[in-house]
Amino acid sequence: MNFREKRRRKQLEKLKRKYERLQNAGKFQKWKNERPFWGGLLAILAAILILYIPIHLYAIAFIPGSLVFVGFLFGGLIFIVGFLAWFYPQFSTIIGIVIIFLSVLSIMGALGGFLIGSILGIIAGAICVGWEKTEIHDLDLLDDNFKDKKVIVHDSSSNTFQA
Amino acid sequence: MEKGKVAIGYIVKEKFYLALFSGLFAFLLLIGTFGFTGTAFALPLGGIGDFFVEFEELEGANFQLLPHVGETGETDAAPMVRNKMDRATIKGLHIYKDLQMPGTNQWVRFHVWVEGTATINGLIQDARFISANLSFEELHVREKNTPNYSENWTQDAKTIKITDAKIITDYLFQSAVSLEGAKISVEYIDEPEIIGD
Repeated sequence: MNFREKRRRKQLEKLKRKYERLQNAGKFQKWKNERPFWGGLLAILAAILILYIPIHLYAIAFIPGSLVFVGFLFGGLIFIVGFLAWFYPQFSTIIGIVIIFLSVLSIMGALGGFLIGSILGIIAGAICVGWEKTEIHDLDLLDDNFKDKKVIVHDSSSNTFQA
Repeated sequence: MEKGKVAIGYIVKEKFYLALFSGLFAFLLLIGTFGFTGTAFALPLGGIGDFFVEFEELEGANFQLLPHVGETGETDAAPMVRNKMDRATIKGLHIYKDLQMPGTNQWVRFHVWVEGTATINGLIQDARFISANLSFEELHVREKNTPNYSENWTQDAKTIKITDAKIITDYLFQSAVSLEGAKISVEYIDEPEIIGD
């Protein structure tokens, strides 16, 4: 068994475990599973950390030349985009890139939420970028295909596993 | 085994790591650029109690001095003066802060020394005590009949030159600061420095 097959088997086993767990899962668990939940949550936490400095300096936020306003803007945008990741999971890649971009830039005007906010934002963005959703209609079919060593193709356009 | 349509979300490791390392790389690049030029943006320092600022010479432009009531490490509202400058260049800057080690009677002093010139844009400083030689250009001292204490009495000047200064500071903000040859050190001290309490 070569490396690719090993990896595919591992991925399939993981999917099967998730499938079985989700069969009897509650509503929230299913809702959480259909979107980049942790990516969005981390992005919101990062935004709160990034907004900490501009909020404490609100009195000078609108002084000409002050970068505090920019900190407000970056932190606020990360907060909104983090929420959007939950409600528009189909745009998770673009949302992830935007979160990473804003988190990196938040070093200006907000000190990147004492750097921790920026790093948290980058991790959140990476989770959103890496997140994908697939719909499994019939697990037995997935099993058979795997046993017969047929090639299982991940069709990214329809986001389904097919034999 | 049960059958049914289930949507499963998962993370593609390759994409995740690619995005993560790209983000961290861009972040380090940005920090590295600031580090190389010695520039930090929007640097606030406050709410930690008194800290001392000493320097040999400061030249500032568009200076403003306003009465101010602000938070210190010990109280929410203490009388102080707010100094504002659009631009300032400082030679021989030394900032230090005395702190008691938690759970012990030992005091330590944190020093920040700048051997070269510190260049600051958008400086705001709240001070409780100033001891220095001051000279101004086009100094205006104004009084205004207003109940707003921060506008009641103001002082502004086109340029200001301060030499041999020692300032007890409670809040410091810089829109952008560049420190040439900054050094940070810590030393044990017997007791904290107390002036003007």
